[in-house]
Amino acid sequence: MLGFELSEPATLDEAFDLLADGDPGVRPMGGGTALMLMMKAQIFKPERLVSLRNVGGCFDGLRIDADQSHIRIGGMTTFAEIERSPMVLQHLPAVVRTMKTLANIRVRHVASVGGNLAHADPHLDLPPVWMAHAASIRIVSKSGERVIPVEDLFAGYYETTLGDGELIGEVIVPVRPEWTSTYVKVTTRSAHDWPALGIAVSANLQGQRVNDLRLVLSAALDRPTRLDAAENELRGSDLSEAALKRAGEAAVAEADIHSDSRGSAAYKQHLLRVHLSRAMHSLAGA
Amino acid sequence: MVALMPVGNIGRSVPRLESRAKVMGQAEYTHHLRLPGMLYGKIFRSTLPHALIKSVDTSAAKAVEGVFRVVTIDDIRTVIPHPYYGPAFHDQPVLADGKVRFAGEPVAVVLASDPRVAEYAASLITAEYEELPAVLDEVEAATSDICVHDELKPAATFPDLQHLKGRRGTNVALDYRLVRGNVEEAFAAADHVFEHTFRCQQAMHTPMEPFVSIADVRDGRMTLHTASQGPSFVRIEMARLLGWPENRVRVKVPHLGGGFGGKLYIKLEALVTSLSLLVQRPVKISLTMEEQFFMVTKHACTFTIKSGVNNDGKVVARKCRILWNGGAYADIGPRVTQKAGFTSAGPYDIDNVEIESLAVYTNRPPAGALRGFGAPQAAWAYECHTDLIAEALNFDKIEFRRQNLLQEGRPQASGTPVHDAAFEKAMDQVADRLDWHKPFDRGNGRIRRGRGLAVGIKGITSPTTSVAIVNLYGDGSCGLYIGTVDMGQGSDTVMAQIVAEVLGLDAEAVHVIHPDTDVTPYDMGTLGSRSTFHMGTAVRLAAEDVLRKIDDLAKELGLPPNSNLPVSEMLRKKYGMQAGNIIGTGSFIPDYKKPDPETGQTPKATPFWGVGANGAEVEIDTETGEIKIVKLVSVVDAGVAINPRAVRQQVSGAAIMQMGFTMTENMVFRDGQLTNGSLADYKIPSLLDMPEQFVNEYVESRQHSGPFGAKGTGESSTIALSPAIGNAIADAIGVHLTDLPLTQESIFRAIQKKNGTPLPEDDND
Repeated sequence: MLGFELSEPATLDEAFDLLADGDPGVRPMGGGTALMLMMKAQIFKPERLVSLRNVGGCFDGLRIDADQSHIRIGGMTTFAEIERSPMVLQHLPAVVRTMKTLANIRVRHVASVGGNLAHADPHLDLPPVWMAHAASIRIVSKSGERVIPVEDLFAGYYETTLGDGELIGEVIVPVRPEWTSTYVKVTTRSAHDWPALGIAVSANLQGQRVNDLRLVLSAALDRPTRLDAAENELRGSDLSEAALKRAGEAAVAEADIHSDSRGSAAYKQHLLRVHLSRAMHSLAGA
Repeated sequence: MVALMPVGNIGRSVPRLESRAKVMGQAEYTHHLRLPGMLYGKIFRSTLPHALIKSVDTSAAKAVEGVFRVVTIDDIRTVIPHPYYGPAFHDQPVLADGKVRFAGEPVAVVLASDPRVAEYAASLITAEYEELPAVLDEVEAATSDICVHDELKPAATFPDLQHLKGRRGTNVALDYRLVRGNVEEAFAAADHVFEHTFRCQQAMHTPMEPFVSIADVRDGRMTLHTASQGPSFVRIEMARLLGWPENRVRVKVPHLGGGFGGKLYIKLEALVTSLSLLVQRPVKISLTMEEQFFMVTKHACTFTIKSGVNNDGKVVARKCRILWNGGAYADIGPRVTQKAGFTSAGPYDIDNVEIESLAVYTNRPPAGALRGFGAPQAAWAYECHTDLIAEALNFDKIEFRRQNLLQEGRPQASGTPVHDAAFEKAMDQVADRLDWHKPFDRGNGRIRRGRGLAVGIKGITSPTTSVAIVNLYGDGSCGLYIGTVDMGQGSDTVMAQIVAEVLGLDAEAVHVIHPDTDVTPYDMGTLGSRSTFHMGTAVRLAAEDVLRKIDDLAKELGLPPNSNLPVSEMLRKKYGMQAGNIIGTGSFIPDYKKPDPETGQTPKATPFWGVGANGAEVEIDTETGEIKIVKLVSVVDAGVAINPRAVRQQVSGAAIMQMGFTMTENMVFRDGQLTNGSLADYKIPSLLDMPEQFVNEYVESRQHSGPFGAKGTGESSTIALSPAIGNAIADAIGVHLTDLPLTQESIFRAIQKKNGTPLPEDDND
């Protein structure tokens, strides 16, 4: 790794100017926790990093709309801020629980929610949780802004649909009092390993009946992915063993799972069936 | 000599002498050291496991601004005509010499005053190869036509390897044999015969402080600052390589951030020495955590064990065949092969034993010493095998062991009588801590529980020498000069306790001088649980020598017998001011008799026996294979514990380490390439993986030949830990796993296979 320039612009306009030339060696930086690892491994050799820590605006803060309909989390909000927010705990308890098994306290104090999404590593824990919560992101650029669902951000393994000069300004999470959510981090080796599978589930339940749900699988695929067929098996049905078995089979059929150092494809498919069923039961029991 | 009353240093948990400096960030490590004019080296490594080097293109690297020089083996040869090293075989080139033998082997080095420039430039080097077929598996390599080396080149220092000199067309670097009685006849006569094959995976030492060495050659002398467990060996081997006398090579070792057997013999030292000699400036190379996978590793092995057992529970015959995957360079692998080989029949009293233990070259990163020196791999086989026999014949697992365990005075497989080895006591203490004789709920639903235990034996590398100097200064304060490297195990503190006990001082007041071969005397190395016993004895002898000299001085000064005059006053009387020294020396080499080359028999194979027993209680989710180690018990025989807390820390540290090798750690290769060479993908245990109940103890015992009754115990809890967990898993699910590591997936696969619904095999993509 050779030297590089680190800029910390005070305004968004300045940041856009510093990022403008489309050079792959010029990148925006959130907390930098993932970038530093890539730089140490010489996978990424930057010329200029543009830190967004001082740009302010929608990148900062953690708030709920006046009508209590949405929570807005600035792109530069750290995981630790989210983890310790009473407001997040009240409305999005699954997000706070996820934080406890995510990386470690040092990383959580530095890593940013926007940088985490833009990194698009399929093993990350938060992106599937945002997807299960039907969250969107506000993307800002010099020419304006657009809002897209989180699931439309991911284009593949470490790939996003963000264009040149586009930044993730905030994450917008709907408040859904009638829904409950959970995230299951399935590790197969040591406790601090990356997940072999991440299963995020959000459901609107009436007793054992599933009015609506969102199922997201991460880590075992090239990007966090909604399990549409499995959702369809459960939507409108009761949480019977038969329905959960059908959902598990549908999930395995629609997810293109490959072997890696965390487990063979067959084993991870089996874990998907088991943990999907357990996750649904835990929501219904809660 | 005056008989001494103990003054309370032995058996006292003296806090580590270096704790405060370490906590304050003030302890000295090689990583911190920067010398004026120093260059940093970064290594360009091979990408193929076995290939001839056609060319190396260094032009782009040389063109980088700030690069001082790019070095290949051709440059090294201008200063060292025969640049090959190794403790057992002179088989390892300082940089790849026309051929690469594993993916990750150093091929070239970039030198620059900025390490980042060197790293960047190294990434611009390219090489052209002619690929050769590679051999990776030890069983295949033992008979393969693909040879990693053309010819075996044993080092002169190991007389028992000389018969291998010049041998061609083989990957077998040592064929160790032990024969006692007649196994074939005994198998034929036995009521039952059992045979099983077990495998261990390749793993890594993972010291927190990666390898680092600095060489500073100038004016025909060299100083090496290096994170080494064996400074005396480094000096001898570097002097040989340079053709210099030992007194022109100085090796200094500060604290080590862990070693575990990895930092023994020659690692980066030959490379930095060559580079410094070449450029006549200090050169430092520090590896990254990821590069450590290519330095030295723990042997993978395949072990077939066969036993003849009679209906009365007596084991009458045992045959062991172990193939050790030594990787591309022998390092100390042949010694591992021999030492772990001779105890591979376990801690049992068996009349007929035949052992064949083979060191095998493959195209993998080299394997060497790692905490246990092969004993844990051997115990994985013999202690799982013991449970399998007990289950098949419906014997109680503890009583079956008890019936066959070696008792005081009985000959071990090598013929050496066993003394001061508390196998049974350690086993019983483990059983007690597991509540073995109380009812145990194994569960009958999704969650199943099981418990297991195992007993291990280890021979100690022999014969080896330690020399110590104790120096009382003019004011009577004490300095201890030893080559033992404190790498976190607490040796400084324990050695200070021994001196203090003899001289009637407080251990806390003794200053331990760290290894510096210009100052500290010879020690064979900080390895194989030998320091407390060997160096401890040398230190005791040196301190006793000081006492004798104090007596002589008293006589010379005409003092009355048993005078209480302090040493400082005696010296003042003699010299007329605060001056002078009283220097005591001690040197220790244990009795040893070379084993018969044909039969491995000897009356004195080891100075003492390493003894450890382990137990585990596990809980398994049979739907997923997920395993929780509810309780992990390790009980060792440490003789008299000189520092009880330090002993317990050794026991727990070794247990955690071996738990990693048992459950998760595994170097995975595809087409000869390591596919998980980072700590993100190679998983060592974290705090969250610790067992809920973690018991680490020692038995009451005494090593009669040891200093104050003590013996070494740095490895004892590693030996039988894997089979304790493996046996507990078998107790829970009814199937014995044969291959380490015991991953969740392998447990689940075993359950499914037993249920007649096997999981499809890996799709390999």
